[in-house]
Amino acid sequence: MTYEKLVTALQYRLVADGDRQAVIEDAYAGDLLSDVMGNANQDSVLITIQAHKNTVAVASLVQIHLIVLCNDRKAPEDMRTAATEQNIAICETTDNQFVAAYKIARLLGKV
Amino acid sequence: MLPSLLALEASERDIKILALTDHNSGRNLPAFAEACEMVGIVGVFGCEVNTIEEVHMLALFEDVHVASDFCFYIESLLPRIRNVINIFGQQTVVDIRGKILEEVTTSLYGAANISVDQLVNQVNNLGGMVIPAHIDRLANSLTANLGFVPDLPYAAVEAIRVPCHVEVHGKTVIQGSDAHYLEHIGRRCCYIDADEANYPALVNALANSAIFYRGS
Repeated sequence: MTYEKLVTALQYRLVADGDRQAVIEDAYAGDLLSDVMGNANQDSVLITIQAHKNTVAVASLVQIHLIVLCNDRKAPEDMRTAATEQNIAICETTDNQFVAAYKIARLLGKV
Repeated sequence: MLPSLLALEASERDIKILALTDHNSGRNLPAFAEACEMVGIVGVFGCEVNTIEEVHMLALFEDVHVASDFCFYIESLLPRIRNVINIFGQQTVVDIRGKILEEVTTSLYGAANISVDQLVNQVNNLGGMVIPAHIDRLANSLTANLGFVPDLPYAAVEAIRVPCHVEVHGKTVIQGSDAHYLEHIGRRCCYIDADEANYPALVNALANSAIFYRGS
């Protein structure tokens, strides 16, 4: 599933566009970015509250195509700029990580 | 740990430059500054900022007033949660004699709504310096929480153990005591070569990696 289809299905606010061709296979929920770096699978969505540009740096390392910012956290300008440069999409939601993870797991056919 | 005893203990251990960096607060800096002057050591003033990424970063200043203002600003960025004394302890502000001036009722424990990048910018713009704390620790460090040390204009980085095997972009690595108890003051000291102990000499030594350790 592409990030556009996923974000549309979730009805989350898209605030940065990414790689439209990339196919998202998996997801990872985590706020400790060293853990994300070590354990997230490539071609994943990252579900997190870490709304700052270093999240984009970690996402690019592990080939995360979409960052979902939970709990109504807003991506600051420098984060959106970094995401655009790295071709990583960002969306925002009022859902918490648990709810977002559940919805995404369903859409990806994981549950 | 009273600020005055901190300065006194440091002077007895022949420490020439000592920083006080309480967690997200600088309310005890005035007493510390007064005590440093009294015992004749150079105080460096600031706080340990817990950033929005929950990374501990030392924000340091030469001037106690600039430091105090900045620390109040950091406090204003904290979530408004009441301190729970039996878990987190009392948050007291004291004068040089140790007399309690006030008790901070809002918890100072949480994360301030400022990112690592923003903090470095703002402190540097105020003429201060930022030192990421304990970068080799598995909690509340750049390495643990972000997974790496972003290449930003820090004055230095602090590690619990040197040499540390973290990519620090050529920054000077220093050891600090991270003293939370009086007996820990001066553990893991680092030394600089200077004619006189003062803040510019410290800044200069950090910028030029002119730091050494006992026995090295």
